[in-house]
Amino acid sequence: MATIIDITEEKALEVRDFEFTYASADEPSIKKLDMPIAKNSITALIGPSGCGKTTLLRAFNRMHDLYPGNEYAGEIIFKDRNILTPNEDLINLRIQIGMIFQKPTAFPMSIFDNVAYGMKLQGIKNRTELNDRVEKALKDAAIWKEVKDRLKHDANGLSGGQQQRLCIARAVAVEPEVLLFDEPTSALDPISTAGIEELIVELRERVSIIIVTHNMQQAARVSDYTGFMYLGELIELGKTEELFVTPKEKLTEEYITGKFG
Amino acid sequence: MTHTQKRIIVNNIVMVLSTLSAVIGIGFLLWILSVLVINGVDALSWSIFTEEGAPPGYEDSGLKHALIGQLMIVGVATFVGVPLGILAGTYLSEYGQKSKLAETIRDVSDIMMSAPSIVIGAFVYAIVVVPMGHFSGWAGSIALTIIMLPIILRTTDDMLQLVPSTLREAAFALGAPKYKVITQVVYRGAKAGILTGILLGVARVAGETAPLLFTSFNDNFLNTDMNEPMASLTVTMYNYATSPYEDWQKLGWAAAFILSMFILSLNILGRLFIMKKKGK
Repeated sequence: MATIIDITEEKALEVRDFEFTYASADEPSIKKLDMPIAKNSITALIGPSGCGKTTLLRAFNRMHDLYPGNEYAGEIIFKDRNILTPNEDLINLRIQIGMIFQKPTAFPMSIFDNVAYGMKLQGIKNRTELNDRVEKALKDAAIWKEVKDRLKHDANGLSGGQQQRLCIARAVAVEPEVLLFDEPTSALDPISTAGIEELIVELRERVSIIIVTHNMQQAARVSDYTGFMYLGELIELGKTEELFVTPKEKLTEEYITGKFG
Repeated sequence: MTHTQKRIIVNNIVMVLSTLSAVIGIGFLLWILSVLVINGVDALSWSIFTEEGAPPGYEDSGLKHALIGQLMIVGVATFVGVPLGILAGTYLSEYGQKSKLAETIRDVSDIMMSAPSIVIGAFVYAIVVVPMGHFSGWAGSIALTIIMLPIILRTTDDMLQLVPSTLREAAFALGAPKYKVITQVVYRGAKAGILTGILLGVARVAGETAPLLFTSFNDNFLNTDMNEPMASLTVTMYNYATSPYEDWQKLGWAAAFILSMFILSLNILGRLFIMKKKGK
């Protein structure tokens, strides 16, 4: 019953026959889901609360493995391999597939150390290289001008919007191929939100982006593709302008016109 | 009388009663402190810090032996108890979490926190002092470590759990292995709280007398050999204060004063850390 368009360009990720069951649940939260994710594009996931969009997002970097008992089934193909196998190197996977969270997650350390954290984990110790890459990442995240004079200050002194851009800088600094955004602006004011959205659009040139959002306008503004999820299923995946203007599925139409959700 | 009037009267009665209770409580505390300060400051002199204990009647007597003994016994207990407590707390919060084993350890340590310290003294007497054949500084340190352990373990556990799980997830999402997430991110987030737990734990054991009576016992002269019985401020204070000699009683006051100020400053320092954390 689902309508999923064929993506002609190269794919960054491909979800096949995916099922996910939380440790505390009897029933799977996501059922038999198939979904292609286009490379160097922005895919938005929308749907009412509890539809499984964040659950799906957190499967792409195997975040669910942090809590015991969660179960995956099916495949998520990334770089010609299924990343759901037990012998997947999660540290390596999470370097390649980064994540930005709902609330800003600045570490309790300086602004510089926050951005350098991922690089230091990879064993980069050379001071000049670290300095250069931190500066580049902060510029990429459009926050360099605001923080360049206080790199040694505690990152928790920044505003929420600045912290979120700092987190984006931190994620971009390790040069991932995919970035997952989990409602990145839901804790921010409208001006910070606009800044983050602009940034996400700019990042598309270098990374493939998946963004979960409660805000349909946001999905319409930033994304190339939009997937509508409902009760653990992908109901429709299409080009964003087509999905919002001429949805193929009745459920999608009802959701985007505000009949439920 | 209307309902409103009744309510106002009841409200006033409750307010007066609760204020009175608070004043009585604080009054006793101030009373204790003022008696301590008056008698303690009077008994203070330089020789307290430079001279050892002496038989009653000697002019040159002091508490040097007890101060050094106290520092060594509490120091060793801190040196062992703090890392053990932090590691155990880390296990509870980061690895054990809600597992049966972790919950059991939490329950047991809560019980241990309220166990009478004299019982712990008796326990160490049985397992350390009796086999060794004599009292020793080590035995005192072991008893204090056992008393300190549950305090540090539980505060570490609580403080680590206060660190938002999203912070851990963010570190994992950058490809950090678990031990680095804990040592580089979670510990930093809980730094002030853990430090407070350590200070309060040290403050708690620094004032213990009963477990030391059974373990390190006492020595009226300076001894720095942990294998031998050792003086401590608390036991010295107990002995001097209950003696019939006036100059010894004076030294007892001085010991009480020094000990109270030490514990008071540890507690204030602990509160300052909490306040600093909240203010952030």
